[in-house]
Amino acid sequence: MDQFEKVDILLVEDNPADAELTMRALRKGNLANHITWLKDGAAALDFIFRTGEYAGRPEQYPRLILLDIKLPKVDGIEVLKRIKADERTKVIPVVMVTSSAEGRDITESYKLGVNSYVVKPVEFSQFSDTVAKAGLYWMLVNKTP
Amino acid sequence: MTDTVLIVDDSLTVRMDLNEVFAAAGFRPVPCATAAEAREALARMRVGVVVLDVLLPDADGIEFLKEFRASPEGASAIVLLLSTEAEVKDRIRGLQTGADEYVGKPYDATYVVAKARELLRERRAGGMRDEAKILVIDDSATFREELRGALETEGYAVITAVSGEEGLRVAADERPSAIIVDGTLPGIDGATVIRRLRLDAALRGVPCVLLTAAENKGAELFALDAGADAFVRKDEEISVILARLAAVLRQTGKPLTGEPRSLLGPKRILAVDDSLTYLHELEAALQGEGYDVVLAHSGEEALDLLAVQLVDCILLDLLMPGLSGQETCRRIKSAAVVRDIPLIMLTALEDREAMIAGLGAGADDYISKSGEFDVLKARVRAQIRRKQFEDENRRIRDELMRKELEAAEAKAAREVAETRAALVGELERKNKELESFSYSVSHDLRSPLRAIDGFSRVLLEDYADKLDKEGLRLLDVIRQNSQKMGQLIDDLLEFSRLGRKPLSMATMNTKRLVEEVLGELQPRSGRRAKLALGPLPPAYGDAVLIKQAWANLLENAIKFCAKRKQPLIEVSGTTTDAENVYCVKDNGAGFDMRYYDMLFGVFQRLHSAEEYDGTGVGLAIVQRVVARHGGRVWAEGEVGKGAAFYFSLPHGEPRG
Repeated sequence: MDQFEKVDILLVEDNPADAELTMRALRKGNLANHITWLKDGAAALDFIFRTGEYAGRPEQYPRLILLDIKLPKVDGIEVLKRIKADERTKVIPVVMVTSSAEGRDITESYKLGVNSYVVKPVEFSQFSDTVAKAGLYWMLVNKTP
Repeated sequence: MTDTVLIVDDSLTVRMDLNEVFAAAGFRPVPCATAAEAREALARMRVGVVVLDVLLPDADGIEFLKEFRASPEGASAIVLLLSTEAEVKDRIRGLQTGADEYVGKPYDATYVVAKARELLRERRAGGMRDEAKILVIDDSATFREELRGALETEGYAVITAVSGEEGLRVAADERPSAIIVDGTLPGIDGATVIRRLRLDAALRGVPCVLLTAAENKGAELFALDAGADAFVRKDEEISVILARLAAVLRQTGKPLTGEPRSLLGPKRILAVDDSLTYLHELEAALQGEGYDVVLAHSGEEALDLLAVQLVDCILLDLLMPGLSGQETCRRIKSAAVVRDIPLIMLTALEDREAMIAGLGAGADDYISKSGEFDVLKARVRAQIRRKQFEDENRRIRDELMRKELEAAEAKAAREVAETRAALVGELERKNKELESFSYSVSHDLRSPLRAIDGFSRVLLEDYADKLDKEGLRLLDVIRQNSQKMGQLIDDLLEFSRLGRKPLSMATMNTKRLVEEVLGELQPRSGRRAKLALGPLPPAYGDAVLIKQAWANLLENAIKFCAKRKQPLIEVSGTTTDAENVYCVKDNGAGFDMRYYDMLFGVFQRLHSAEEYDGTGVGLAIVQRVVARHGGRVWAEGEVGKGAAFYFSLPHGEPRG
């Protein structure tokens, strides 16, 4: 009955346009089932660790997290750090999705144990492809939650 | 340390006389009558000073001097030449051969000793600084020796003098660290000795301990009035004297280096006159005052002499055959080294005109020859004193200027360092600003573009059937432009990154690098340009950046000759003393040299986007990469015939 009961993919993205395009790309890649979209890092942490607004959510973890780096409240790097520091969540594949290929973000993310890193291309079909492929790959890798 | 003095003279009188005075002054004299004896003595012992007669029975003194100077021992010893003949020629020859001094006979024995001491001291000034050296002035031999023993036990070096006069001379020669002087002395008393010392620029800083008689009431007041640093009653224990001495030495600290010559030191006077009779009268009068007198018979001789030996005062006859006194004076006063020596003009004429002429030529004073020698001596003394005070003033002035200059330099250095630090800080701040700027540019500018492109695409996919052909074309224009802008942003970011990234320098194989770049480019471009690879010397630089430069140049070449029937790209390199020069040449579209200035600018294009695509950043990147390596970029081109791009890279001298 709960809409969050079965979550396959958690998308954390503050830009609605990007979020819409990302979800469209995932749908096109047949990964449309159970996508949850959250708009900031604090909400993402609450959702994952079932605190605050999501305190009543059953203990269930996403199979893939798509995480933007620049987020309101708590940024993507911090969210990644918290996910990878927790025994329960550190096995969840996290793909950083960001506009920029600025070196320090990439390095920082890999230090923290990110599984993949996707730069959002301006060109839509490329973007669509990239997101769909990354999503598919990690969903396949992480078959069991 | 006791210095050995070799006295080489055939005259027994001279030997005995010098032997006595040198021994009394604390030297170890070794008299020799001939050059042969002297050679033998030199083979046996180390000698600090040689007093050498120019005329020896078995040799020429100057030849002996040459021989001695050539030996390893002789190079560092002090040599004083003695000569009966006060011949100017001999004197010049002797001094040029390497004598340190030339003293004419009849000599003043105390002058010879004082001079030997002064020269030894000067020679040692460059070397180690002696331990504290104490001068004891006392007429009682018993007390002198008792004090000497106590002082030497404490590790002081001790020199002694029996009278106030001798004490002053020894002080001037030896520059003791401190002086202990008896208040009661024959001749000038202890208080007077201290007062005289306090007047001397070179010695006024030497601490003095005054010894006063036990029964002397108000001794303290008396001692302090004289300028003593401490006083001790003679009936006190020797240990009290030692303690006071240690205290005053502590207070005064180390003596200054680079002291001026002492006022009381030995002085030399050059007398120039064509009349031998007058010269000898003058010599006798001045020698009686303790001066060393050098005689010259003409202006020419005087000038020759001054070229080899400096003096403290010059007495110059106005009327002489040959070079006149006036002209001699003018020449002396125009030579930098001797200009400041006090010069007193002498003339037989009691006439105003002569006096004016002499002073006009630069003389410092004027004396009539008919006058008494007492007046002359007083004038000489006054001139020497004046010179000494001038020297001291100049020294103080120089010292002040040097200190001011040092202070100014230190201030300037500090300011430079501060400015530099501020600039570096500013630069770091700007770099950070730029970094965060380009970071936001790359994030925030790309997002809306992605939305424009993405939603155009969505529109195309979901609503294609609702748009007519023109509608579809318009959508396509929107998409192309958003993609183009995305590319521009990427290139701009890349360009700004190049300026910030630290260089990681290494030697690289240029040929391999170029082949690698071509391997990456050709499949992408799909062209089949013919490639001619010439020699490519290895380069020294940041491989990632240099590769980027090559990639941009080769990509351009491939792009611009793609429309040729037989596209040809030539890549080559040459090496010179300072740098390597590389060239990429194509037979493509070329460019108009009139627009050369635009070629390497950011976003500058010489071709329309329809003809050749591109953002106008490629060559700007090449330019920036090469400039960061200290090289240059240039090009030649002709429309329709092709272009050649060159860049140079300095040779790899791995710098610190």
